[in-house]
Amino acid sequence: MSAAWVRLFGPVVVAALLASWPGRAEATVRVVATTGDLGALVAAVGGEAVRVDVLAAPTEDPHFVDPRPSFVVTLSRADLLVVNGAELEVGWLPPVLAQSRNAAIASGARGYLDAAATVQLLQVPAGGVDRSMGDVHSAGNPHFSCDARRGVDVGVAIASRLAELDPGNAAIYAANAARLSTSLTALAESQRARFAALSPAQRQVVSYHESLTYLFDWLGLTQVATVEPRPGVPPSPARVAEVLGVVRDTGARVLVQEEYYPTNDSRQIAQLAGASLVVLESQTRFSAGQTYEQHVRAMTDALFAALSGP
Amino acid sequence: MSSLGANVSRAALCCLVVGAVAMVGAGAARAQSTSDPAAANPAMSLILDTALAYFSEREPDQLGGHDPNHTGFTLQQLEMHLEAAVDPFFTAQANIVFSQFGVEVEEAYATTTALPGRLQLRVGQFLTRFGRMNPTHPHARAFVDQAIAPGKLFGSEGSRGLGTEVSWLLPLPWFVEAVASVTDARGECCARSFLGSEDVPIRGLEDFLYTVALKQSVDASAATTVMFGGSGQFGPNGTGNGNRSAIVGADLYLRVRPPDSPNRRAFSLALEGFGRARQVPGASLRDHGFVAQSVVTFSPRWDLGLRWECMSGVKDDPADPEWVENRRRGTVAATYYPSHFSRVRLQLESDLDENKPRPGYAGMLATEFLIGAHGAHSF
Repeated sequence: MSAAWVRLFGPVVVAALLASWPGRAEATVRVVATTGDLGALVAAVGGEAVRVDVLAAPTEDPHFVDPRPSFVVTLSRADLLVVNGAELEVGWLPPVLAQSRNAAIASGARGYLDAAATVQLLQVPAGGVDRSMGDVHSAGNPHFSCDARRGVDVGVAIASRLAELDPGNAAIYAANAARLSTSLTALAESQRARFAALSPAQRQVVSYHESLTYLFDWLGLTQVATVEPRPGVPPSPARVAEVLGVVRDTGARVLVQEEYYPTNDSRQIAQLAGASLVVLESQTRFSAGQTYEQHVRAMTDALFAALSGP
Repeated sequence: MSSLGANVSRAALCCLVVGAVAMVGAGAARAQSTSDPAAANPAMSLILDTALAYFSEREPDQLGGHDPNHTGFTLQQLEMHLEAAVDPFFTAQANIVFSQFGVEVEEAYATTTALPGRLQLRVGQFLTRFGRMNPTHPHARAFVDQAIAPGKLFGSEGSRGLGTEVSWLLPLPWFVEAVASVTDARGECCARSFLGSEDVPIRGLEDFLYTVALKQSVDASAATTVMFGGSGQFGPNGTGNGNRSAIVGADLYLRVRPPDSPNRRAFSLALEGFGRARQVPGASLRDHGFVAQSVVTFSPRWDLGLRWECMSGVKDDPADPEWVENRRRGTVAATYYPSHFSRVRLQLESDLDENKPRPGYAGMLATEFLIGAHGAHSF
């Protein structure tokens, strides 16, 4: 029996000991971000001084990510964890964070950065919240990363936290954050001005979920309805008919949603109402080399093309 | 040593351990300082599982302690889950289960958060991490009832015990976790294969129940994750004369979930095999079991589960004198989820038990409702 156990576990233990042997100290700060937007913001601020891993695939609904064991390994090596917060990752992050055994990135530690705490959240419930209202986040709407203005806030907070963890590169982080702030602020202002040129009727939109609120707030758009009757509750045929009526009554010409929501109901409403459906890429394609600025620019360009179309 | 001396020593040891952990945990999570007393309350949830069942047999042989086991309605369980950080160094959680027959502490344990070397310690009563099915709580299972093999080998509540567990996340590029626990081998939890009786005194280290497991996982692609492991459990059994039992197992879990599927479609396949050897007076008994289950998720609202399982019997088994032949069972379950917090499950079973003159059939309609804040489940 003992020889069999040695044969079974011996190679793994030896490999672990070799892998854990102290080697050359790494020069980079290892950062894990839960979403592509956050990962891209860290990369823009950290530059060459950080190594960034992103947990959720950019096409995944960030509410519902499989907590794969590989996340545990990635988190176990992190110096900094950047989470979206406002309960966005509450359904999958806590168990892998606990399993990572990495106290440096535990909630409340210096290596844990809650991005939601660095921005002004919208739709913070004033009264009590219960689940009869659907998937309402009690901390407020967590989908702020599509707003370039809030991207600036998060970028500054990331630079500050990186400087705490890696004071030697603080000047680099501050310079990168300043550069990011300048370019994102310019983008935010130019896009807002561009959308402001549209007529009030053209600035009406229907979204699938309450997940583009910050984008609409930034661009001055009016959300006349959501396809979901309540957050997280799929529409019934009656709801589809109701939203169709709203679209017809208001004259809204565009339905917009992220790629991770089903499109069949939105497409049906758009076809029946003679409107168009815009399916946005929800998160920065960080692993493909896309920057956060490129991502939000692509989102706003796609939306503007649909709103300003014939 | 006097009682006072024993207490002082115990306190000193406690301080030493806490002090060591405190030093190790410098820079770890800070306990929240708040003037709001409610903020220190644990997250609490209640999960209600009920079922309406039909069995073709008058006395169906359901092995799980929370399984429907008669035609009619069953309160499977009302589980209260509590969870909170104790301080910067420990978290604690408890699962208290209420049923028509009383209240039981399913699990209650503390987990370290700041040990060095990627180590983690659990102390308290917990489900041992043997294989994949055993640590899964009844409400997290893909089927209404417990699988046969773990029911026969570990008992109606699975393998759980009072003790301590250490686990190590190996510093490798892929997920490898080694787990070892020592728990009390006495009590109803262990009567199926180990000591069982509360009256047996603990004479030495050989009288505890030891569980070891090695769990590994790799991402085969952006959509596919494979998890596999081996487990073993060793301890004394209740037949006297220093007789011992050993259970070994191997498990494989495959999950495919394309990250670009708007309907969160997924497919999972779990295979788990068990082998048991027991020393009994004048003989050595060996039996084995196997469970294969697959769940196809069509959308966030619907999934379909299929399960096939078998468990061998053995002659002159003091635990199951009438279980001498194979028992096989096939199950299909369709589940509808109105939301993440409620579900309705229809399950049909065909039980081909060669120890009985004819097959048994069952149909179950089960519901689950969850209120409160319940922690996310592991992969």
